[in-house]
Amino acid sequence: MKLTRKSNIAPVADKPALGISRRQFMKQAGIATGGIAAASLMGTGMMRRVEAKEVPHDAPIEVKRTICSACAVGCGLYAEVQNGVWTGQEPAFDHPFNAGGHCAKGAALREHGHGEKRLKYPMKLVDGKWKKISWEDAINEVGDQMLNIRQESGPDSVYFMGSAKFSNEGCYMYRKLAAMWGTNNVDHSARICHSTTVAGVANTWGYGAQTNSFNDIQNANAIFLIGANPAEAHPVSMQHILIAKERNNAKIIVVDPRFSRTAAHSDLHCAIRPGTDIPFIYGMLWHIFENGWEDKTFIKQRVFEMESIRAEAKKFPPKEVENITGVSEEDVYQAAKLMADNRPGTVIWCMGGTQHHVGNANTRAYCILQLALGNMGVSGGGTNIFRGHDNVQGATDLGLLFDNLPGYYGLTSAAWTHWTHVWDLDMAWVKSRFDQTAYLGKDPMTTPGIPCSRWHDGVLEDKSKLAQKDNIRMAFFWGQSVNTETRQREVRDALDKMDTVVVVDPFPTMAGVMHRRKNGVYLLPAATQFETHGSVSNSGRSIQWREQVIEPLFESKTDIEIMYRLAQKLGIAEQYTKRIAIENGLPVIEEITREINRGMWTIGMTGQSPERIKLHTQNWGTFSNKTLEAAGGPAKGETYGLPWPCWGTPEAKHPGTQILYNQAKHVKDGGGNFRARYGVEYKGQSILADGTYSKGAEIQDGYPEFTADMLKQLGWWDELTAEEKAEAEGKNWKTDLSGGIVRVAIKHGCIPFGNAKARCIVWTFPDQVPVHREPLYTARRDLVAKYPTYDDMQVHRLPTLYKSIQDKDLSGKYPLVLTSGRLVEYEGGGEESRSNPWLAELQQEMFVEISPADAADRGIRNGENVWLEGAEGGRIKVQAMVTPRVKPGVTFMPYHFAGVMHGESLAPNYPEGTVPYVIGESANTALTYGYDPVTQMQETKASLCQIVKA
Amino acid sequence: MINKWFKHIGLVIALLFSAVCLANGGDELATQVQQSDAQIWAQLKDGAQGYTTSQSEFHAQPINTYDLRVLALRSDWLAPALMAALFGMIIIFVLFIKVNGISKLHHGFSGKLVHRWSKFDVSIHWLGAIPCLLLILTGLTLLAGRFFFQPWLSAGIWEAIVYGAKQIHDVMAIPFMIGWALMTTLWAKNQLPKMYDVKWFLVVGGYINFGPFKGKHPDAGFANAGEKMWFWAFALFGLVISASGMLLLFPNLFEPSRTLSLIALVLHSVSAIVICAFSIVHIFMATVMSEGGMECMVSGYCDENWATQHHNLWYDEIKANGTLKYKE
Amino acid sequence: MATMKFLCDTKRCIECNGCVTACKNENDSALEWGIQRRRVVTINDGQRGEASISVACMHCSDAPCMAVCPANCFYRTDDGIVLHNKDACIGCGYCLYACPFGAPQFPKKGAFGSRGKMDKCTFCAGGPEENHSDAERQKYGANRIAEGKLPMCAELCATKALLAGDAEVVSSIFRERMAYRGAKNAAWN
Repeated sequence: MKLTRKSNIAPVADKPALGISRRQFMKQAGIATGGIAAASLMGTGMMRRVEAKEVPHDAPIEVKRTICSACAVGCGLYAEVQNGVWTGQEPAFDHPFNAGGHCAKGAALREHGHGEKRLKYPMKLVDGKWKKISWEDAINEVGDQMLNIRQESGPDSVYFMGSAKFSNEGCYMYRKLAAMWGTNNVDHSARICHSTTVAGVANTWGYGAQTNSFNDIQNANAIFLIGANPAEAHPVSMQHILIAKERNNAKIIVVDPRFSRTAAHSDLHCAIRPGTDIPFIYGMLWHIFENGWEDKTFIKQRVFEMESIRAEAKKFPPKEVENITGVSEEDVYQAAKLMADNRPGTVIWCMGGTQHHVGNANTRAYCILQLALGNMGVSGGGTNIFRGHDNVQGATDLGLLFDNLPGYYGLTSAAWTHWTHVWDLDMAWVKSRFDQTAYLGKDPMTTPGIPCSRWHDGVLEDKSKLAQKDNIRMAFFWGQSVNTETRQREVRDALDKMDTVVVVDPFPTMAGVMHRRKNGVYLLPAATQFETHGSVSNSGRSIQWREQVIEPLFESKTDIEIMYRLAQKLGIAEQYTKRIAIENGLPVIEEITREINRGMWTIGMTGQSPERIKLHTQNWGTFSNKTLEAAGGPAKGETYGLPWPCWGTPEAKHPGTQILYNQAKHVKDGGGNFRARYGVEYKGQSILADGTYSKGAEIQDGYPEFTADMLKQLGWWDELTAEEKAEAEGKNWKTDLSGGIVRVAIKHGCIPFGNAKARCIVWTFPDQVPVHREPLYTARRDLVAKYPTYDDMQVHRLPTLYKSIQDKDLSGKYPLVLTSGRLVEYEGGGEESRSNPWLAELQQEMFVEISPADAADRGIRNGENVWLEGAEGGRIKVQAMVTPRVKPGVTFMPYHFAGVMHGESLAPNYPEGTVPYVIGESANTALTYGYDPVTQMQETKASLCQIVKA
Repeated sequence: MINKWFKHIGLVIALLFSAVCLANGGDELATQVQQSDAQIWAQLKDGAQGYTTSQSEFHAQPINTYDLRVLALRSDWLAPALMAALFGMIIIFVLFIKVNGISKLHHGFSGKLVHRWSKFDVSIHWLGAIPCLLLILTGLTLLAGRFFFQPWLSAGIWEAIVYGAKQIHDVMAIPFMIGWALMTTLWAKNQLPKMYDVKWFLVVGGYINFGPFKGKHPDAGFANAGEKMWFWAFALFGLVISASGMLLLFPNLFEPSRTLSLIALVLHSVSAIVICAFSIVHIFMATVMSEGGMECMVSGYCDENWATQHHNLWYDEIKANGTLKYKE
Repeated sequence: MATMKFLCDTKRCIECNGCVTACKNENDSALEWGIQRRRVVTINDGQRGEASISVACMHCSDAPCMAVCPANCFYRTDDGIVLHNKDACIGCGYCLYACPFGAPQFPKKGAFGSRGKMDKCTFCAGGPEENHSDAERQKYGANRIAEGKLPMCAELCATKALLAGDAEVVSSIFRERMAYRGAKNAAWN
């Protein structure tokens, strides 16, 4: 018996076939056709595919490299395919992120090849019954309905809900589809995930992304997790965290209302009251400033306006912090001291920090803590912001957002000009697609649309209060579970009220089943990412290429095919794919990647050509698990996945930037500094870096971002080629499609985006410095006067309530604080993972965690059913889990469940054979109003409820 | 209670120890284990229960502790003992009869049949007896078969036999328990020990055909002392075997702990050994040894001469109080 | 000959249940809803001292299940893996009583103690049927050992808490980790 594996490299089929051989295809096609024929005779339940267990063991194995579709760690794996069936899943020990490891979801990934509960073919709700329709009819009917509504109410009445599960190419094409339809009413779940991070962090130092990498956490000496529970949400990241703990004796500090699975591995756990992150951070900063633990040189050279923070922190002496947060003075001191004593330390946060009505301020507070400690731009430091879905980073980068075009260009005319240029289209045409009238003084083309968190308000709100022509009348729910949105009762009303609901998803999802409609719902089966190919960005900005594992199951189609067919129906296909080749009637995915490269200068997503991404993925074993760099092999010297910014054109061979703002490296090797994004001065003070610069920079001080004019001033203009000059004239580094400005800047060791200070004040935000504001629904009424919320305001197209909600005292009727979060077995809205029997078996009941004291007061025993009523009256029937994990006064629910509402099962509403193995009440039925004023992030982490025995 | 007591008699468990040591990476590492690690292992060894997503039985407890000597007890002692109780007793009896001969009726059969058992009594006897025989055979297969039979059998036959044994054992348990319960409750009044039973024992019931015991006929009532002993042994061990059997047969109903189930298994075997040994004696006595004895449990009547020879006091009593009934 | 063992490092285990679903995935053909050959148990759940441990058949050297089985359906491979023959299993449940780790499970929970054929972790080594035959796949699941691979649960463990392989190799890996932890502790305390 050999103890080590016979080979560390997964077995490769004799024939390194790309795709499947003709014989296999025929075999498989035969099966598929048979299945469809049988299905039309026997109805949904009888549909059958070949099962893995029916494939002979010795059938030839094709090995595909693919990436887990659960969270954004980006774990790689080998998928084994025999006769076109996904028969095996082998660990990729040589993968730099996960070294073969997977959590429950990743280890159950092969179930995607079964897809028992998937939508099998296009369906339409007719008089309360699901009817099978053809793809042609589906596209025609949906398209006609869109055109109809466009005629009557304008393009803004169609809503494009997108997904963080798309490939980068899918994200890009979806945003482009919405743009060419003529609306900014496009968004996806990043809105309710890390939108506040992107806004808060980008406005602090330049980019709203994880600054370091999962692997780099191995170099940390302290790990500060706030509102993050990676043991359940990003389990494989714990590999790196625990290595830091073992090898560096890194101190782990967990700030979380619950004693989470992550807290079990911590040195210090601070159970803050939900919604008090800012006072907690100020409490730590109070100690840091008091004891002089701040990094004074770093602050002087690279941080703008720390003085304002110092002043604000003074308002939070230990006693006050203990009063607000519920964490003892000693523990806050310990947290500060551990971070000060063990540098570099990293800060990790997730939804616990972002999903608040003060979310953007929370994220800025975390950044400021790192700035004070001088932990930025160094290995082992940084803000390691773990993104949620597998490609939520890519979806955000590619502008699947209501307020952005791809690359965070915004929605200004300049941004539209840039992208129209990238698309090679006529600006007048693009402009003509939009509603030309201004509403409430806002121009639809340059005004952010309606956010993912509040599309239902776009349906239900009084038309006259909306900054667009009409309400939303039709919506696509393309890979998004609406049960992840708060105020489920309004979500249901909105689904009822719309003219047409279109679900494009591998599963029916809640949008398809929770309404009370009899007509006007379309379910279009989309293929998963294992049934197509394309690139995917992990949380650490590394891009990997997913190979196609299997052909689309049943009659499902890939996202891009469905988008393209819709575009054809809508008569915009020619413009939509002007620069993208069409093969076999479909856009070529690699061509889409190249178009992305053509336009994404802001974040340096320009160097990752499909060829380079594939090279990395095919050679992932050559990259170090510790440094992410390849010591040898075809990608020698590069960082795995070419994390952006990967400056310049692919030919420039930039290795990618693992650690953002790292001055110790030359920019050509992935170095950098804080971005000059907010001008050069504020109120007469320079905000450029002070006497500090990245290694090898020829401008040895702060400098603004590069423009054509600046090159001329520096005398570097003539280093551009003639072609580059023609393209670059009058442009800046972000809009010069030739890449010449970027190339020349880097040649001189300068970063194209300039060299500035990180800023602690954001003068364009409602709060210049993070300000503590009590949650809208708070149990601490005594603190409301001192820490009130905002006044009601109009945010983009929607009126948004703050004070009028907080003013009502509901703490008597609803005394328990309600917060929500993840379980390791499920993901997002859970429709997919609850349909996976291997996962569903592990969590069969929706539950609420309640402390033994609160349970005893209510006569509730562990495992009993209870009614939980949210502060707005949403009632759900769930099981009580009595546990010391939550403190008295706090309750917690996972948000992955759906399929039961107000105690009533929605199972009869599903098309036959698609009810997930496990259904349950959605936590969001009980969760309430509350939106961040900058990003419209929903408040899911601090609300109120009451629980009674059922 | 029993559970706890059982735990106390053997806390140090070789197997558990090896498992935990392995998990700790070997003895030599024990000193390096962090304090909290040691505490966790102490808790686990103590049988701590926790949270798990599995719904399976006992899955909340990572490690269950019990005295591992149970295993050796079963294989080294109980299995051979049951073999001995069955085959050993048969051999002993065959030899005994070879040497001693059987107990004949001194006056031959009178031809007059005295009513001794009602039809109901006869039926409950067989209700218990037939299952009992099957239970002994199948139980022996289950306890000792793998040591004594399997080596001589092909895999297929062994699988069939042991599977059949389990099925028969499960089914037969029910009539046996009903028979046991009825016999024990209905017949107990005739089985109360009397002073003359002591004398009966002193002459070994008069069955020995040589030496000082030859020709002795001790006093006996409806039941003789030997039968009474069998009855009470049967009542007691029948109770134990039924109760332990119920735990094993209906785990869903009683939800015994694993340790309790193991204890039940041991008690079940011990009782089986006793009942088996007695059963062999009983069968031999009734069929071969005692001329005319079998008739009682066939028709319910016994020969008058058999009654006077073996159960003189009973015969005298029924004759005196007029309850004596002859077969028509 | 190697002696195959599992080892779970509680300092690394985060109860992500990857091992549980890895097992489900790999042995899908032999498993049904409700049977988890491997499970993770968390003691002191939700409070200081919380620790998780992944438990399945430990493939004991002196396996109690083997000693107690009336049908003698267990056997040990040359690698020290304890396997059983489902054809011989009579569903009596004695192995469940005897196993300290609760490894044996039964598909049925009918009255009359009828439990069906016992199922337990095979160390991904299949069963007595011919390697990779349909019978083996359907009764026992995967046979990775025959392919020179180790059990799926350990191979896919997210944090490398669960180790599987030759007892000596596994404990030397663990010893190295302990040395790291121990040495650093000594330096810091």
